[in-house]
Amino acid sequence: MTLDSATEATWALRVVGDVTPGFPAQRTGYGMQTYGNTTPGTEGATWIAVDATGHVTAFAGKVEYGQNIRTGLAIEVADELRVPLEDVSVVLGDTARVPWDMGTFGSQSTARVGWQLRKAAATAREALLRLAADRLDLPTADLEARDGHVASKADPSRSLAYAELLDGQSLELEIAEHPATTEATDFTVMGRDHARRIDAVDRVTGRSVYSQDVQLEDMLFATVLRAPAYGAVLRTADFTVARQLPGVVEVIEEDGLVAILAESDEAGALAARTARLDWDIPTGQPSRWDMPTLLVESGQEPFATQEAGDLEEGFGLASATLEDTYYIPYIAPAPMEPRAAVARWDGDDLTVWAGTQRPFGLRQELSAIFGIEEARIRVIAPEIGGGFGAKSPYSIAHEAARLSKASGRPVRVAFSRAEETMWSNFRPAALIQIRSGFDAEGRLTAWQSDAFHSGERVMIGRRGSDTPYDAPHIRSLVYRSDSPIPSGSYRSLGAAVNHFAREVHMDEVAAAVEADPVELRLRNLTHPRFRRVLEAAAADFGWGTPLPEGRHAGIALGVDVGSYVATAVEVSVQGREVRVHRVVAALDCGLVVNPEGARNQMEGAIVMGLGGALWEASDFEAGRLLNPTFTRYRVPRITDTPRIEVRFVGDPDAPSTGAGEPGLVPLAAAISNAVYSATGVRHRELPIQRQLA
Amino acid sequence: MPTLHVNGEAREFDQPDRNLLSYLRFDLGLTGTKYGCGEGLCGACTVLVEGQPIRACMTTVGAVSGGALVTIEGLAAGDTIEDLHPVQRAFVEEQAMQCGYCIPGFIMSSVALLEREAHPSDGQIREALADHMCRCGTYQRILKAVTRASEGDR
Repeated sequence: MTLDSATEATWALRVVGDVTPGFPAQRTGYGMQTYGNTTPGTEGATWIAVDATGHVTAFAGKVEYGQNIRTGLAIEVADELRVPLEDVSVVLGDTARVPWDMGTFGSQSTARVGWQLRKAAATAREALLRLAADRLDLPTADLEARDGHVASKADPSRSLAYAELLDGQSLELEIAEHPATTEATDFTVMGRDHARRIDAVDRVTGRSVYSQDVQLEDMLFATVLRAPAYGAVLRTADFTVARQLPGVVEVIEEDGLVAILAESDEAGALAARTARLDWDIPTGQPSRWDMPTLLVESGQEPFATQEAGDLEEGFGLASATLEDTYYIPYIAPAPMEPRAAVARWDGDDLTVWAGTQRPFGLRQELSAIFGIEEARIRVIAPEIGGGFGAKSPYSIAHEAARLSKASGRPVRVAFSRAEETMWSNFRPAALIQIRSGFDAEGRLTAWQSDAFHSGERVMIGRRGSDTPYDAPHIRSLVYRSDSPIPSGSYRSLGAAVNHFAREVHMDEVAAAVEADPVELRLRNLTHPRFRRVLEAAAADFGWGTPLPEGRHAGIALGVDVGSYVATAVEVSVQGREVRVHRVVAALDCGLVVNPEGARNQMEGAIVMGLGGALWEASDFEAGRLLNPTFTRYRVPRITDTPRIEVRFVGDPDAPSTGAGEPGLVPLAAAISNAVYSATGVRHRELPIQRQLA
Repeated sequence: MPTLHVNGEAREFDQPDRNLLSYLRFDLGLTGTKYGCGEGLCGACTVLVEGQPIRACMTTVGAVSGGALVTIEGLAAGDTIEDLHPVQRAFVEEQAMQCGYCIPGFIMSSVALLEREAHPSDGQIREALADHMCRCGTYQRILKAVTRASEGDR
């Protein structure tokens, strides 16, 4: 885990470039100002380096938290550089070694950084062709790169290995503006099914190191005394007993941070139990049952994500209208690895190990806290045991750094499961009112949506709030409402929430005009990519053909991070229990670089979506979280897992868009629609199982 | 000093009431066994004692000192794919992992299952792994991996 400077000093060829620009807004569905790389980044950072043996190392500011981006990026580099996948290593998430990056979220790694690495790799390939042209005395047009060699097209026996070409070299190249990147038809590594992830063996042998696993010499274990309720303030604390216990080194109380530092995890935890703490808990905090009213009453700053025509005229044209309200409670990301951080000071230099989705963001925060230059701080994100949005905020790394500074020794801070949940950010709760007008065939004439999402970050609720259906008169407003508990990023942000309301409502329109739900949607869709995923999912599912006795179908579609998705589900309802037996999804995310990786992401998003659809809700009462552990928070298990089939229907010539989040987006609505088909009861509130119990 | 047999090696301990998971991770540095919930519900800390899967977070060093203990680090014969235990290899081949944090626990319980039932049904695999959580949702691949491992000697 130390800087491998010896290796880095011996690069024979480096490709450098500035930080990649942000996406145009239309590619992603969210604004440039929030998702572009607006911070001035690392100039002249190394993206690709090749050593004298021909081994390739790629550098990216992204982190690996399960999305398999390490393999995905390696595949892109291997293809462009014409080397076997085994000859590519990827360095991620270490601020001392990789180009600046805003963070790993929003399904942008393949789309944005992958493209930058492809350009860098193509630049390197062109340089190798030029080196070979000199050595072989042939024009580059007569040469081709393949399998780590450059050879004459006419006489393949005239060939030089990259290692031979790079012997004694020390080249530094700027990423070319328009290098000859590979056409989709010529891919040899991209788009293929690969036998394994490049980090698979480490993961099955326990060698992968996560932030929970980082241990330094002389390290102290911190037990931070945390509030029992949101907003609570420590009035008095008595550590008389705690200080005398074996293994306890020090009690630190500074500016809102109170911690016991001990030689072992258990010594600190035991001492914490003897501390006498008196907390001031603010009264009058809302509880979970207050949320529907609170969301509407506190709603402010209505923002139109869609506005066209004239609603009054649209409803005037309608032969029928429907008006309904949908409610989605808070849910917890609950990644398997609770956050942990280790900090060490070497004089005025700080190194922090933290499984954060934003290593550079964390470096900036630490710089502000300690008033030192970012260059003095190194943040290393090791393997990350799941994120789903929960690991963007990482204040325990601040705590570790403060405690290390105060004690003069390396310090580890780690969350327990209950702390991880309580001090995480929940997916915002939302109440969504939809009013639609339509003709006798269910063609929309008017669409009015008012969505109230909890929390300050308005982009969360706005994501996915615009309907893809062709209503001529339309207004979709998103409001910012109060949040009594911390809310923030969750896989797909508010998209899965907004899609739930819209896609259940579309089913209600279908029922109102007695139309088939697929046919009804197609009547209202002209966009070819939506039509294609819907038709593909329906066909793969066998939509319209009889299901086994007691099984019922539901379908929904959506879009997220530029990718189009449709999902059909088969459920049964036995007594009060919903079982999902089969899920069939079609995804158009443009070029699929690593199909097996993308399929894994889709399957995972579908399983995760089962939880929010059927069981999950974070309950709280007057500032206290009632279900912070798995005893009271039911997540999907292997016994709940349906058969999942995923097909990619995108155009390989279209740019790659995200595959990690879209799978979540239509799932809850598809399940609700299938339960309606089974029972005739419409579920407009999640989680569904709670309505049945 | 009392000893514990971990992955075939005798390891001494001086605190019999030390939590087994903490002992493995912090005293022996065997960090492949993970902390996930601390209350025996998620399965990330599963190790084998005399071939039986137990939750390391729920027990003490002293309670298991009589038996042979195997952690994820003790399964493979070496560092390469060829050296892996058949269950580990099947997880690699099915790409039955995402973040990988829960995977050591799943593998330990799967090894124990295949020891007592060489060719388990889909239902038996689900039952054996019902108390393991994977928030990345790789369950379908885990089912395939365990099935693949069980078919290895057919």
